[in-house]
Amino acid sequence: MDRPNLPVIGRRNAAHPLAAPGPKLRPVAPAGTVECRGCGRRFVAARFEKHLRVCPDCGRHAVVPALNRAVQLADSATLKVVRFEIGDRDPLGFDDGVPYPSRVAEARQRTKLQETFVVARAAMGTVPVVLACMDFGFLGGSLGSAAGEQFARACDLAVAEGRALVAVCTSGGARMQEGIASLAQMARCSAGVVAVARAGLPYISILTDPCFGGVTASFAAQADVILAEPHARIGFAGGRVIEQASHDRLPDGFQTSEFLLAHGMVDAVVDRGVLRETIVRLLIGFSARS
Amino acid sequence: MNVSTDTAERERIAIEAVELARNPGRPRTLQVIAEAFTEWTELRGDRLFGDDRAVVGGPALLGSRWVMVIGQEKGTDALSRAVHNFGMPHPEGYRKAQRLMRTAEKFGMPVVCLVDTPAAHAGIGAEERGQAWAIAQSLITMLELRVPVVSAVLSEGGSGGALALALADRVLALENAVYTVAPPETCAAILYRDAGQRARAAAALRPGVATAYDIGLVDELIPEPMPGAHAHASLCVAALRGALIRHLDELCAKDIDVVLEERTRRYRRAGDGVAAPA
Ligand SMILES: [Zn+2]
Repeated sequence: MDRPNLPVIGRRNAAHPLAAPGPKLRPVAPAGTVECRGCGRRFVAARFEKHLRVCPDCGRHAVVPALNRAVQLADSATLKVVRFEIGDRDPLGFDDGVPYPSRVAEARQRTKLQETFVVARAAMGTVPVVLACMDFGFLGGSLGSAAGEQFARACDLAVAEGRALVAVCTSGGARMQEGIASLAQMARCSAGVVAVARAGLPYISILTDPCFGGVTASFAAQADVILAEPHARIGFAGGRVIEQASHDRLPDGFQTSEFLLAHGMVDAVVDRGVLRETIVRLLIGFSARS
Repeated sequence: MNVSTDTAERERIAIEAVELARNPGRPRTLQVIAEAFTEWTELRGDRLFGDDRAVVGGPALLGSRWVMVIGQEKGTDALSRAVHNFGMPHPEGYRKAQRLMRTAEKFGMPVVCLVDTPAAHAGIGAEERGQAWAIAQSLITMLELRVPVVSAVLSEGGSGGALALALADRVLALENAVYTVAPPETCAAILYRDAGQRARAAAALRPGVATAYDIGLVDELIPEPMPGAHAHASLCVAALRGALIRHLDELCAKDIDVVLEERTRRYRRAGDGVAAPA
C-alpha cells in the first residue's frame, strides 16, 4: 500500500531547505573499554556506543552525552548543531573559593560544549524537529541563565521554522551559583514552551537519568508527551532531602521512571533501543492533520 | 578588617537577614486577607485528591474591586503551623491555586497571590502525586491566564514552590523578605554537602529580595519601618494593600492582550538582570 504523503508540521514541510541534510556529525568514539555499572561486564567502547550505551547483558542504560544523544535520535545525516551567541552570566558575582566563571570555563573545556544544552536542527522520520539535549556532564545539567536562554531560543527556532520540539532532559536542578537568576529560568523555559504550544507544534520530552528540581518542575513536565528511559531517577526533591525531612524509609523504586508511570506522571517508559522509532511514530501522528 | 573577619561578618549579616525574614511576627497570608480584603469566601480543595491547607484562597473585595486572592499560609502557632504544613504546599495546593485562577479568569477577576513559603514540600506523597508536574502546570497557567496577576512576597519565597505563585504581571515584596532558589540549608547541602554551612550559603547566594529586585524578578519593594514588619505588621499590611490596589489599577486599565504580551516578553527574559555588587 502506498504511504500517504510525508508529514507536514506547522506551516512548512519536510522539503523545506532548512530540513535539508547537513554534513554527517559523529560524536567522538571513546577509546578503550568501558565497564557496565549494572553488571560489571567490560565492553569495547565503540561497541558500547553502537549499542546506544545500553548494556547488552543486563540492559542498564548508561548516561549519554548530549551530542551523542542528538546523533542517536536524528535521521542519518540530518543533524545540524545550532550555536547561539549567548553572553556569559555571573549574576551574583559568585565565588566560593573558585569563581563561578572559572567553573563554567572548566566545564566548557572538559565537555567541549558551550553550555548544558546541545541544540540542533534535524529530521526524525523526515519530520523537521529542533532537538534540545541536556548534558549531565556540564555542571550536572544545572539550569543556569545561559542554559535557560538556550532552551528558550530552541523554542523560538521551532516556532520560526514550524518544527516540532524534542527535549532530552537530565539535570540535578538549579544552578546554585546563579541563585535567584537560576530560579527565574523555570519561568523563561515555560514561556518558551507556551510559544511552541501556541504555534500548534508538538513537543515531546524524554526524561533520562537523573532529572530533578527546576528542570522537572518546568519544561520537562510541560510536554504534550513525556517519555522516560527505564530505571531513570526522576523527581522534584532529591531522595536524600526527602529522607532527612520525613524520617521515613523511601519505598522501593521510589522516584524511578516505573514509579512515575504507575502514578500517571509519564506516558511511557521506553527502552533506548526503540526510543527513536517511538518518537517518530508520535511526531508523524501529531503532524498528520488529517 | 582582615579577610576572614570580613567573611565572618558577611555571613553573620546574611544569616541575620534570613532569621529576620523568618520572624514569626511578620504578617501572614491570612492576616493580610483579614486586614486588607473584605468579603472573603474561602474555597477549598483541588477537585482531584484533597485540600492542602498550605495554600488558601477565594474571592474577596480589595477596595472596590473583586479579586481572587490565593496565598501560602505558614501558620502562627504550633497547631496552625502543623495544619498549614509551615506553608510548604503539596501538589494539591498548586492544583487548588490553578483551579481558583481559572475560576477568576472565567469571571474576569484579577488574581492576587501572596507568596510565603520556605519551599514546596519535599516528601514521599508529594512526589507520588507529581510535585514537579503540579508546579510546572502552575507556571503554564500563570503565563496563559487572561486576567491581570499581582504577586507579593511576604516573608519567604523559596524555590519553584514560590515561583509557582509568583509568575505575575507585577511582583511586590516586603523589604525584609527573602526570595531564593532554595532555602540556605538546602543550598548548603548541595554546594558544600553540609546543611550546617547555611550562613556561608546565605552569604554567597544573597537571598534578600533586593537581589531579586536587581535581577528583575521583583518590581517593587514595600518599605518596612525599623526594626521590621514583625513590629509593625498592620502598618506593613496597609502599605501592601495600597501598592496592590495601585498596580491593579494600572493593569486593569490596559487591554488584556497587551498585559499578556508584556507578561510573555518579561518572562522570556527572566533572570537577565545582574545583582548590585555585594
Ligand atoms: Zn550490564
